[in-house]
Amino acid sequence: MERRSVIGGLGLGLAGAATLLSSGRAQAQGKSFTIALIPGLTTDAFYITMHRGAAAAAKALGVNLVFQGAPSFNPVEQVPVLDAVIARKPDALLIAPTDKVQLVQPLQGAVSAGIPVITVDTYIGSGVYQTGTGQADFPLSYIASNNTLGGQMGARALAKELGGKGKVYVSNIQPGVSTTDERTAGFIAEMKQNFPGITVLPTQFNDDDANKAAGQAQSVLARNSDLAGIFGANLFSAMGAANGIQQGGAGGKVKVVAFDAPQTIIGNIKTGLIDIAIAQHPAEIGWFGVAAAYAHLTGQSIPPAIATGFTIIDKQNVDDPAIQKFVYSA
Amino acid sequence: MTAAASTRHPPGSARGRRTLAALAAARAWIFLIVLLIVFEIWSQIAYGSTFLFSAFNIRSIAVFAVAPVLLGLGQTLVIISGGIDLSVGFTMGFAAVISAQVANSLGAVAGPGIGLLGGVVIALGATMIPGWINGVLVARLRVPPFIGTLGMYGVARGAAYLLANGTTVPVQNSWLTWLGNGRIIGIPAVVLIAGIVILIFHYALAETQFGQYTYAIGGNRQATLRAGVNVRRVTIILYMLSALTAGIDGILYTGRFAAGAPQAGEPLLLDSIAAVVIGGASLFGGSGTIIGTIIGALIIAVIQYGLVFLNVEPFWQFIAVGLVIIVSVLVDQSQRRLGGGRQDE
Repeated sequence: MERRSVIGGLGLGLAGAATLLSSGRAQAQGKSFTIALIPGLTTDAFYITMHRGAAAAAKALGVNLVFQGAPSFNPVEQVPVLDAVIARKPDALLIAPTDKVQLVQPLQGAVSAGIPVITVDTYIGSGVYQTGTGQADFPLSYIASNNTLGGQMGARALAKELGGKGKVYVSNIQPGVSTTDERTAGFIAEMKQNFPGITVLPTQFNDDDANKAAGQAQSVLARNSDLAGIFGANLFSAMGAANGIQQGGAGGKVKVVAFDAPQTIIGNIKTGLIDIAIAQHPAEIGWFGVAAAYAHLTGQSIPPAIATGFTIIDKQNVDDPAIQKFVYSA
Repeated sequence: MTAAASTRHPPGSARGRRTLAALAAARAWIFLIVLLIVFEIWSQIAYGSTFLFSAFNIRSIAVFAVAPVLLGLGQTLVIISGGIDLSVGFTMGFAAVISAQVANSLGAVAGPGIGLLGGVVIALGATMIPGWINGVLVARLRVPPFIGTLGMYGVARGAAYLLANGTTVPVQNSWLTWLGNGRIIGIPAVVLIAGIVILIFHYALAETQFGQYTYAIGGNRQATLRAGVNVRRVTIILYMLSALTAGIDGILYTGRFAAGAPQAGEPLLLDSIAAVVIGGASLFGGSGTIIGTIIGALIIAVIQYGLVFLNVEPFWQFIAVGLVIIVSVLVDQSQRRLGGGRQDE
């Protein structure tokens, strides 16, 4: 009894102190907003870089940034994190939803709790918001790079490297992931439309396993000794393809394009294992995400879509100081 | 379950069991040979070129199979003892990250050779921690292996990501990347290293008392205990060996891809268990061989490599591997029924 009441008293005291603290802070700063950022997964250089950009914007604007997420990219793990964040009642929510459909209801829950939602990198519904149609147009804005465009840029860079002719294929993780599917589709469409001299072989799926991607690259090479290029739709696809080509004794002969630019890929460009990287600008996505949320919270209007850029990194510019800010890092 | 049956086959008559296990391994050989013949004929008819008699293809498949084989080696011992180790995928990632970090930082100070040595020693030493804990959980605290190693799966995963700061660690050590990609008289170094480890494990399992105890524990733990075998100690060593092969796998992966990736082994876990089962081991324990696991891994590698080589729609790979697993287990079951007495149902 005695002990319980002491603990109860302590709890009450703590709660009181917390109330005092938070009201004191709110009074002192006038308006101190808390913005939550939920990435697709926490263990990925892309989202870690996005967090860096978001933190820079938060510091500049005097906003508290909360970064919470699940260790792997799936709704079953993301939704509980989302619910916990909603329970903490941030002033605005930035999220990279892990499923177009399954995240609609949980995010509706945030809106019902009075928390405005902005999606970053990935989207819900069709990704076209604030149109008054459909069940999933309620987020205020979608801030991301256009993955289809990224795939097209990869195709152009590779075609240029190959002089517009030769056999290429896409190494992809698995069908059904919106971003990598769009990159693949963009790459293939661009090759078919504008580069008649390029033959696109069937796409290989590697389950995000570099070992399998390497084996597939060697096998495709064994069947097509005139293979000229590979487009790796993500880190492990590109790493595996590059190793398969190296093991197959065709290093330098077969050009490898990597989508995304973590340190590992940059290192491989320097050693010549990989020829070209299509870097998204995740820090930019994070920066503009926080800025857009802040603009909304302070009564400004914001655009329903913000498209961020790409940078092509190759052996010529990899050591250029101006390029370093596009390399994914914490 | 097996009590009545196994008392007729106490640990002393392990030879009878080895004969059955040899039969189980033989069916894997038959699978592999049929597969190679079919692919060879297919390749000759469809493309007028050889599949099997190409040094390029053989070397590619060998390198491809190294990663699942190494995970499968330790897993074979654990499965024969009646357990399972679900943590090997992330133990591999844990070792991959540590070897990359140490090879980079120590290599920068003391040169790439010392960096590589330090990376190997520290990474393998570190894998002994999850291996030992797995063993203690299963052997002393009687936690079901499926649950205990599932817990370690999470712990090793988190530790690997923490050590890697959430991403992959690029390798800047030329000796380590040579280890992953170099060749000695035309044979890839990773294949040679895997070959040595395979020989040691094969010898330990087939020729030593330790190997006999492993089969005995999987066949009948109680009887083995009564026979005076230190079951706990043997079990702990088995899980540590499982972590050790995962660690070697992680180091070779890091060298090969010049990147220490925490999730390196995640997609390999199921392929490695499939290799053990196709190779003739029973998930109920008591049977299985190292050679069987090697053949099992080669079957999977040949299917996955060969179907790409033959230009088959990629999704057929999943179906083909799945069918081989099912047929393999069906053959195993009927063989046990005919073999008499060793039925586990």
